[in-house]
Amino acid sequence: MMSRKLAALFMLAAVALGSCGAVGAQSQVGTLEITGVPPEMSAGRYDRQAGVFFADVREIPGALITVKLEDVEVVGKTLEWRTDDNYLIMTVDARLTKEDFTLSGDVVEYFGETKRLVSEGHVEVMTEDATVSADHLDYDEETDQALFTGQVKVVFSDGVLSGERFLMLLEQSELQFFGSFQGEFKDE
Amino acid sequence: MVAAVIYLVFRSFVQPPPPPVAVPPSVQLLESRLIGRQDGERQWEILAKSVLQTGDVVTLTDLDEIIMFQDGEPYLAIDADRAIWDRTRDVLELQNSVVGDLDGGFRLESDVLFWNGTEETLTSPGPALMLWDGLEIRAAEMVLESKENLLYLKGDVQIRDGSMAWIAEQAVYDLDHERMDFYGSLILKQEAEDDE
Repeated sequence: MMSRKLAALFMLAAVALGSCGAVGAQSQVGTLEITGVPPEMSAGRYDRQAGVFFADVREIPGALITVKLEDVEVVGKTLEWRTDDNYLIMTVDARLTKEDFTLSGDVVEYFGETKRLVSEGHVEVMTEDATVSADHLDYDEETDQALFTGQVKVVFSDGVLSGERFLMLLEQSELQFFGSFQGEFKDE
Repeated sequence: MVAAVIYLVFRSFVQPPPPPVAVPPSVQLLESRLIGRQDGERQWEILAKSVLQTGDVVTLTDLDEIIMFQDGEPYLAIDADRAIWDRTRDVLELQNSVVGDLDGGFRLESDVLFWNGTEETLTSPGPALMLWDGLEIRAAEMVLESKENLLYLKGDVQIRDGSMAWIAEQAVYDLDHERMDFYGSLILKQEAEDDE
């Protein structure tokens, strides 16, 4: 019973995470929007020679940076985007959402050349069925693997799993726990 | 670079070694080819059907073309319906003007352009389009500050750079360092690259 629930949970997460890799794909049409910035205040700077765009709206109340790509949306308060190697880092209240899936963390990075999505600090992946929290998430689009490390906690409707290292092999729908892991389940 | 070009162009236009035409006040010349030279070398050439000087204001109408020369070779063309040069204020007004280099790499279009020789600024108080170094820049108002090589853009700012299209309320483009500072709300649309 429990394994079926867990499998369903992680299949959902797998679908959601698998979609995150498209954030920086060059062939896609994307939009960057910075809202809530008064006309006299700087919204950002683009260095054309270096191919780097940087924006920091932390000091502007209500201002927000939003990157949209199809049905994926990333928001935050600071953004650095290197256009040459398609690298993007969003910090301060960084959050990635896609339909019923949300990833939040202190930092959300996307490495376009290596097709990796990395999130650090208070990482939280929320789906309709569960929440996975950890210190660090490293998702590799090529291998379709998501590695959660550091104080990993998986909370679902009738149980909690916690440990230090947790690998999701999304394509194979496999879950690997490294080191000691604890589980608590409610009786139905 | 572009600012330097424009600066040189307008500086040489506004402050030519010999004045473009030395005629008594309220004298009109017809079918005139005016040539400016410095140290014997041709700097600019204006073909105008009418040149009218009234006091310190010189008005050139029915301009065929203004050609600027560099090292004796034509390199920049200014196409304007009318040019009004106020020598006292050191302001040159170009109406319905298109400024461009002969290679086609630089082009500036505006209904009205003002070159202020004192402040060394080129101002388009209305909508302007500039093509430069692969950029297509549009704004409701545009001011080029030659001393600092800064291009100030205000209102309905649109900058197209390859597959990127910036839309901003205001922007300042540092031409020397190729840096764009955006003010107010900003939108960047990244379009799909053409597969060739």
